Amino acid sequence: MFSVKPIKPTFKCYLPPLQGEVTKTIDPPIKKLEPKLLPGEIVVNEANFVRKCISPESSQDDLWGKLICTNFKVSFIPQDSPTKQKFQLSHLLLGDHDVPLTCLEHVVTVNDTKGKKKVLGSNQKLKFNPTELILYCKDLRIIRFCFDEAGPESAKKVCLAIAHYSHPADLHLLFGFEYQGRRYHECKAERLNGSVPRGGLQTAIFDRPSDWDREIKRTGASEWRVCSINEFYCVSSSLPEFIVVPVSLADQDLKQYSIYFTDNRLPLWCWNHPNGSALLRTASVCDPVQQRKIEQRIITAITKSNLQCSEVFSSDLDKCLPNIQEIQSSFIKIRQICVIDPFEESEERWLSAIENSRWLEYVRAFLKHAAEMVYHLEGRNVSVVLQEEEDRDLNCVVSSLVQLMLDPHYRSFFGFQSLVQKEWVMAGHRFLDRCNHLKKNDKEESPVFMLFLDCVWQMMNQYPAAFEFTETYLTVLSDSMWIPLFSTFLFSSSKQRAQCLMDFARNKAIPQGEDPVVYFPPVWNWSQQFSLKDQTLFNNPMYVGKGASCVLNGEVKCFRRTKKYGSILRGASVSLRNGLRGAADGFTRRGSLGSELKPEFSVMKEVVESPSERFIRDWFSRPADQQGLLIPLLTPSHVTLWKLYFLRWVPEACIPMGGSITAYHKLSQLVDEIEMLRDHLRQYKAPTPGGTPNPSPRGPPAAQRRMYFKAASPTDSPPEFLSSTFPFTPVGNLCRRSIHGTPISKFLNGARIWLSTETLANDSF
Amino acid sequence: MEKQSAGMADGAGGNKKPWSSPSSAPVSGESLESPSGSHVEWCKQLMAATISSQISASADLINRDKDSLDEGLCYHGETDSEHPSDALNLPALRYGARVRMLQNQVPLLPGENIQTAIQDVMYICPFNGLLNGTLTITDYKLYFSSMERESPFVLDVNLGAISRLETISIPNQGENTKGLELVCKDMRSPRFAYKTEMSLPDVVDMLAKLAFPLSHSLTLFAFQYKEQFPVDGWKVYDPVAEYRRQGLPNESWTISKVNSTYELCDTYPSVLVIPTNITDDDIKRVAAFRAKHRIPVLSWIHPESQATIVRCGQPLVGPSDRRCKEDEHLLQIIMDANAQSHKLSIFDARHCSVADTNKTKDGGYESESFYPSVELNFLEIPNIHVMRESLRKMKDVLYPTIDEAHWHSNIDQTHWLEYIRLLLAGAVKIADKLESGKTSVVVHCSDGWDRTAQLTSLAMLMLDGHYRTLRGFQVLLEKEWISFGHKFSARVGHGDENHANSERSPLFVQFIDCVWQMTRQFPAAFEFNELFLVTVLDHLYSCLFGTFVFNSEQERTAKEVHTRTVSLWSYINSQPEEFTNPFYVDYQHHVLYPLASCRHLELWSTYYARWNPSMRPQVPVHQTLKDLLFLRAELQRRVEDLQRETSTHSRSPASEHSPTHATGTPLHTVV
Repeated sequence: MFSVKPIKPTFKCYLPPLQGEVTKTIDPPIKKLEPKLLPGEIVVNEANFVRKCISPESSQDDLWGKLICTNFKVSFIPQDSPTKQKFQLSHLLLGDHDVPLTCLEHVVTVNDTKGKKKVLGSNQKLKFNPTELILYCKDLRIIRFCFDEAGPESAKKVCLAIAHYSHPADLHLLFGFEYQGRRYHECKAERLNGSVPRGGLQTAIFDRPSDWDREIKRTGASEWRVCSINEFYCVSSSLPEFIVVPVSLADQDLKQYSIYFTDNRLPLWCWNHPNGSALLRTASVCDPVQQRKIEQRIITAITKSNLQCSEVFSSDLDKCLPNIQEIQSSFIKIRQICVIDPFEESEERWLSAIENSRWLEYVRAFLKHAAEMVYHLEGRNVSVVLQEEEDRDLNCVVSSLVQLMLDPHYRSFFGFQSLVQKEWVMAGHRFLDRCNHLKKNDKEESPVFMLFLDCVWQMMNQYPAAFEFTETYLTVLSDSMWIPLFSTFLFSSSKQRAQCLMDFARNKAIPQGEDPVVYFPPVWNWSQQFSLKDQTLFNNPMYVGKGASCVLNGEVKCFRRTKKYGSILRGASVSLRNGLRGAADGFTRRGSLGSELKPEFSVMKEVVESPSERFIRDWFSRPADQQGLLIPLLTPSHVTLWKLYFLRWVPEACIPMGGSITAYHKLSQLVDEIEMLRDHLRQYKAPTPGGTPNPSPRGPPAAQRRMYFKAASPTDSPPEFLSSTFPFTPVGNLCRRSIHGTPISKFLNGARIWLSTETLANDSF
Repeated sequence: MEKQSAGMADGAGGNKKPWSSPSSAPVSGESLESPSGSHVEWCKQLMAATISSQISASADLINRDKDSLDEGLCYHGETDSEHPSDALNLPALRYGARVRMLQNQVPLLPGENIQTAIQDVMYICPFNGLLNGTLTITDYKLYFSSMERESPFVLDVNLGAISRLETISIPNQGENTKGLELVCKDMRSPRFAYKTEMSLPDVVDMLAKLAFPLSHSLTLFAFQYKEQFPVDGWKVYDPVAEYRRQGLPNESWTISKVNSTYELCDTYPSVLVIPTNITDDDIKRVAAFRAKHRIPVLSWIHPESQATIVRCGQPLVGPSDRRCKEDEHLLQIIMDANAQSHKLSIFDARHCSVADTNKTKDGGYESESFYPSVELNFLEIPNIHVMRESLRKMKDVLYPTIDEAHWHSNIDQTHWLEYIRLLLAGAVKIADKLESGKTSVVVHCSDGWDRTAQLTSLAMLMLDGHYRTLRGFQVLLEKEWISFGHKFSARVGHGDENHANSERSPLFVQFIDCVWQMTRQFPAAFEFNELFLVTVLDHLYSCLFGTFVFNSEQERTAKEVHTRTVSLWSYINSQPEEFTNPFYVDYQHHVLYPLASCRHLELWSTYYARWNPSMRPQVPVHQTLKDLLFLRAELQRRVEDLQRETSTHSRSPASEHSPTHATGTPLHTVV
């Protein structure tokens, strides 16, 4: 292990900080500040007497402590024992002041007195002694450290170390490979005792035929089969090993067709509607000569699998949706507005700025496109093929959104996770490149998955009782992308995953035949990151509450398990009853003013409604079943900024004692109480062997209760720690003090920092 | 804070009257004789026009719930949305009202009379195309119904909401076809086409007379309305009781009768709270020095620090820097009444340059050199004309069509949210000065009846949890707005055809919008719900109730408003459950500061854009909560039944099992 040099107190360090009144003096007996290290984690550099900025205005709340760079994270250990924010999500692997290296977007060093700044990359030199270090994080945090009391050399070294280690040269150098290897061996004994398949994971991974089989059965896709021609990735390097294809196509045909598709990516079956129509995704055919022929054959096969309708609707997403570069630049803009621009300045034209970023426009575009696909599947019984050149970005978003709208199963906790697994991880979304974990190619970086999560949030925001999980879950999921410990977001294809994990297993002496889910777990094993109590923040009380109403007499019945899409079937009558003729009906009376006026006023209507718009409008005219088909409202007023995600680190935007959490709080308490009452009932109904009912007075044990907020006395007002950013706290983040009159944001803009890590041209070193 | 509920005299309290139970909707679909029923329906209809029937989704769900429950749990208000007649029994929040349009009758209020009915009128709907139907005009409303479509269509407009009538041209339809546009105060402008020979006398003339009665020497409909409510809303506000709730009078402040005949100030209420140590003569001299004689009087007193909110008109300083010893003395006394602070903060709502301009026109502001220990703050809020223009622009953005691509920037360009932000920020400053600074504040603008009312009432809403209850909020409106002479008639233009009158301005709407923004930021802190706020605004224009008519207490007394008209609060408090927020938790001892940031301000589209069918709101969370509350009550009942059973069998004390609290205690209490 790396030995930590003993700290030699200098006279200087006893001096109060330079600026401002001093409220806290450094305790004379310097405590030994020990970092909390994970198995396999080593300290690579550190600096003492570092000040972490807490408030943008004054330094009186600032924390003093040690800044450490390890092979996993940047860690700050405050001198004063931390006043632990009790009611905040606490991460099991990361402390309040820790940032994983993969989460760093930019490492900026500043010399306040010389007015110099530099964005540090890997293996760079720094010609000035930094007085400040500002970390711009991918989860939108901005953290600032000051070195006014630290030794100039150690400050410089720690900055360079952070910059260097956040640019790993190779995937295998990501800390997850070290950590999971150690963890596997350390936890071996526990596993042997109670071995459960897949480590008890309830989320379908779709890495074996049985998962696909189950999905085929669940959706009633009897005309489709699991095909294993891509076993060992011998057809395509980016498709999963097992894919679902029409029964009418033989393996031989498929092999033959595959060569015409980009990266040999044959069309992938995603989902089946109870009416027989199917959702598929495909890469484009790269051979223009063969294109028509191949497409025709595939379409014929798809048609054969849908007995209801002989048509197939094909949608080319490259032509109608923003591309990954546009998504990336839009995200950069909205991040700029939300967390980097000075708060007061951006107040004035806030909505216009949001509009200019185009982020919400893109969110709307994806939701709208998905809703149109829903129209074809639901309203017309037509199978839909989503087409994208590589089938690895936009198709992931649209196909998963379509399924979320149509199938309530995917709105359950495990359903959603298996959807991400199926349409993103297994379908070969390039997480490694899109997240840019290795910071190698900025052009490939794009927050496509984040865009999807925002779309999900929009639906959740509009149908709050329809999802089993909460926005906290979505936010935590997005944060997990930047923690390199889970197999989910580290790879660009399942082949890459398989190969890396095979090498990993060999290197770490993991026995052959061990399940990768066990030795390199996906993110879905949430106990890796959070306590069971904190995980209850993922549970949506409205959904749980509804589910609870089906639990009676000890028998568990949940809607989400039922396979009848009752409301979906309503669609059929719609198209019959309210076809295009609906509007015309009204004007048939002869001689009435209506028929006379009609031509003129019809012209006044500028936009002619398309059939899909009519379908959607018809759907809206009826009550929505939160467990049936759900189409989000697409007007700009209803697609709004996801405040928890974008504003949670902005102290100025935090509403103390307010925010939707106060409603969530009350709902949670109520649902907790309902669950306890149900439990009582159950116990009364099922007498104990002794003969007399013996209900436990406390209801289910606290660990099993599904609500974070437990039932309390009815007069209780919500606890005062609740705020609009709960369970995150903006304290200690985002110190955007300007440097020599130039706001950091301007500097970053000028440097085009998000696109290049080069140094500022006007910075003379 | 000591809390005494004021205005409990009528005893409506939380006890449920048989009157206010679901019978508020007519039992059968045929008749509408139930007096209140018609009214709930009205309101529901207004909401129904915008709020989608999606809400009843939960009914679907519940039905399904029920199927899976062998125990036969029954849910109130459950309904099969396929059967319209059932839906009539829904509580208002289910908005099942649309279905009542099935019958071909025009629902009438007591005292309402049909004036004319015109067949074969075309409603030029901006959303659904053209509709042919019957237009009925009563002395209260305009009612258009069409049976052409599969679902009957009804449009109704309270005549009071009409701002102006415009004839529009209908191309190529010959001489006898006329077009009519009703430009409304509530953000819509429905248009009709009709044939003239079918309707004699002319519709426009008739409408003009009915919609603008005061311009035609007629009276407002409020004086004809004959509804009987079990609760008398006029008893909601008793100024003395309200001041007593605040702990007044005390040694420094007295409840004065100096204005009992409105001689001192004709726009102030008769009951005023002024410092004890000031003579009536001094008060008269101060009145002469303050705009419209609106002297500094107490609005609210902090229960702990004794810091006060004082409101008044601007001092008449004028270009020659006039002084008034008595006024200076009065402010000194006000400051001295609060021992906690040696400062007095004056919040002038205006921009300082505007205040300077006023000074040249005989108005002005308190000079810090004449008023020692006063700190003067300008809140820079634009005047009524700017606000009127802003909302007018908003209407252009929202009605009839919405430019989706430029939605956000168009909203930005109206500056409406920016002004909301200024108002909230100003009120937060005032509230914080009292709460954290323990300093008394004086608030004024020019006359002290527009921005002043907005600011004081918002600050009071932040500071005092009582005003966040359903009853308390009514008291707040009665006090700060109605009794203190916000010129409702002039600002709304009740019954007046002069639509271009520059006195008109939507300041009250703006205030309610601010309240709505606060309810969004603190969803559990307000006892009333969104329907309540929308209802208040609808009846701001409707002239159905006497609550918002006339400009001052003096006028209302002269016109015997309390005896000759019905109060809006009679209607509201006769069915408080319709207007109650199920999330309400008493934050009694909390000062709630809304975040005055555009990041958290939203356009209130369920009000402003409710006529546009594509702007339907999202499925409200409170419906789920209501279902859950009901489920809990039912489960509690069952657990208790079983407990009783068990205890009689085994004689073991099973009463400890009840999880947290007693039988069916409602999570909130209706005050």
